[in-house]
Amino acid sequence: MALFPKVGRNQPRMRAAWWVLVIFLCGGVALHLFPFFYMIALSVTPAHEALSPTPVIWPKEPTLAAWRLVFELTTRTSMDTAVRDLMSFPFYVYLSNSLFMALMTLLISLPVTSLAAYANSKLQRGPMARWSFLFFIGTLMVPGVVTLIPSFLMTRNFPFPLPSAPLIPGTDDPFPILRIWDTPWAVIIPGVFNAFNFLLFKGFFDTIPDSIIQAARVDGGSEFNIFRRIVFPMSIPVYAVASWLQFGSVWDSYLWPLVVFQTPDRIPTSVAISNLMNRFIQAGSTSAQQAAAQTASMREILEAGLSWNGLMVLGLLQTIPIFIMFIICREYLMRGIRLRGLK
Amino acid sequence: MAERTIPGGQTEEAIQAAPVESAPLRLSRRSRIEKWMFIIPAALFQLVWGWFPLVFAFALSFTDARVRGPISFIGLQSYTRMWGDPLLGEAFRVTFIYAAMSIVLTFVIPILVAVLLMEMPPRVMRWMMLLWFLPLSGIASTILWKYMYNPEYGLMQGIVRLLGLPEQRFLNDPNLVLFWLIFPGILLFGPGLIYMAALQGIPSSYYEAAEVEGAGFWRKIWTISLPRLRPVISMMLTFAIIGSLQEFYWPQIMSGGGPGSASRTVVMYLYNLWGNLRFGDSTTVAIFLFAIIMVITVIYRTFYKEDPDA
Repeated sequence: MALFPKVGRNQPRMRAAWWVLVIFLCGGVALHLFPFFYMIALSVTPAHEALSPTPVIWPKEPTLAAWRLVFELTTRTSMDTAVRDLMSFPFYVYLSNSLFMALMTLLISLPVTSLAAYANSKLQRGPMARWSFLFFIGTLMVPGVVTLIPSFLMTRNFPFPLPSAPLIPGTDDPFPILRIWDTPWAVIIPGVFNAFNFLLFKGFFDTIPDSIIQAARVDGGSEFNIFRRIVFPMSIPVYAVASWLQFGSVWDSYLWPLVVFQTPDRIPTSVAISNLMNRFIQAGSTSAQQAAAQTASMREILEAGLSWNGLMVLGLLQTIPIFIMFIICREYLMRGIRLRGLK
Repeated sequence: MAERTIPGGQTEEAIQAAPVESAPLRLSRRSRIEKWMFIIPAALFQLVWGWFPLVFAFALSFTDARVRGPISFIGLQSYTRMWGDPLLGEAFRVTFIYAAMSIVLTFVIPILVAVLLMEMPPRVMRWMMLLWFLPLSGIASTILWKYMYNPEYGLMQGIVRLLGLPEQRFLNDPNLVLFWLIFPGILLFGPGLIYMAALQGIPSSYYEAAEVEGAGFWRKIWTISLPRLRPVISMMLTFAIIGSLQEFYWPQIMSGGGPGSASRTVVMYLYNLWGNLRFGDSTTVAIFLFAIIMVITVIYRTFYKEDPDA
């Protein structure tokens, strides 16, 4: 409430400007709620209505057929083979894959990243602090695709980023390797250190006065206890923000899981839903042959009863966990962000 | 916003502005060991999954690596081959247009909205903020927009007809496909939360002083709000540049790079090369992109003053 002057607030011109602002912001809120409303509306729209040339806002004959179909996909109770062919595994398999990956990443990543940020903020000084800061955030500037291929090769033959493990010199045996490719760990481990979260934590810890920590140190506590008893309780907001951001990015990640998973029952929901959607929608068909194949595949899906309404249900399911995280973290979101830039 | 004071009478801003290197730090032997125990796990992960793949990407681009078989060093062959590739040139052209358009059209709106949202009374603001930033999963929004953009039965075509405009082909239109890809981002923009958090830290005394001096509405935004947001804007702009130049998922799902190659970005091209198992070539493309991003970032950070007090 700083832009409108304190004096003369009740002048007609000021009042008018104020109401224009309120209406503008309410319009923005409505615009942002529309996708949710529209997805729900489409999910109860019968297939033929969704495909008719008059656009739907709310269906004339709402039906729960799509929700029932997705329920059958989830539990795999349907006897209809066409429905069974839509997804090769019950949907809950993909859901549990996604949840395992996202929660495991949080569980390992938050302590590792935040402790390093704390040490960098409060326990290091001078050039050493500066260099380790740059070491930790330097990779933020690197586009993810540059390291995509070496990282992919590394998941296949950890720790060698090579197509095959090198031979031990003087013998015919290759070095022992750890293969995390095609397991959930291929998603979890590369995400353990998160440079953006490091920046977030560092920005927050920098605002905690040194005197508090110094006082605790005089009282004689180990650094870890100071962190656990004093710093951590103060820092709940930043943990909430970091976990919200990271959960969202792991949950919704597409390219990396697409690359590292091969076994169909290990993929996360994001990939499973996208695959189904790609079969339904003709995107990027470069040849007539491909287009024909896609049309056939689309007809198959339609026969199984899945249309836009079913895809919308799947989309809503994909949103629910992010939504829950948002509701858990909402209290802290504003208080947790204290970024001061990259310097 | 009411300024939040903490015991001792200092505002948060005063603490944030306090020099970091206030006193030399003397840690006991045990504390020093603990310090390293805090740092080492993260440092190991950062080294192995952050820096090592980066260094290796450079090495890989000088080879003809494939999934199996021996690797041989082929020098700059990949570089010369990719340099002369007309398809890559086209992909770069598309990427630049896409990135420029998306930054011009979508970067400023969240900043402005955050500034205006701060004008609301705190309780209204909290509710509006929640409703405004409700997250929709990326996958869900692709499904929704795929439907809305359908030229036959989608909602967008309905709106176009309602406005009496000529029928659009949306994602099938080679001239406008990039605009339509960016359009959802204009309507439903991203991370204004970060700006609002930064705006909260501005003491209200700044605005009061400006008011005494006779500064109006826009003047206050221009001389107080925006300069105070500078470090955050700079950071977000850096991420926006990097992010928009390596766009992949959204165009891949929405338009599949088409029609023709009108929306095929560099990363999509790289992904295709990789699908053909040309690891060396596709890493080379990534390095081209990296070099360009680095140059742009360095240029813009040289000319951008980050510190509002300087």
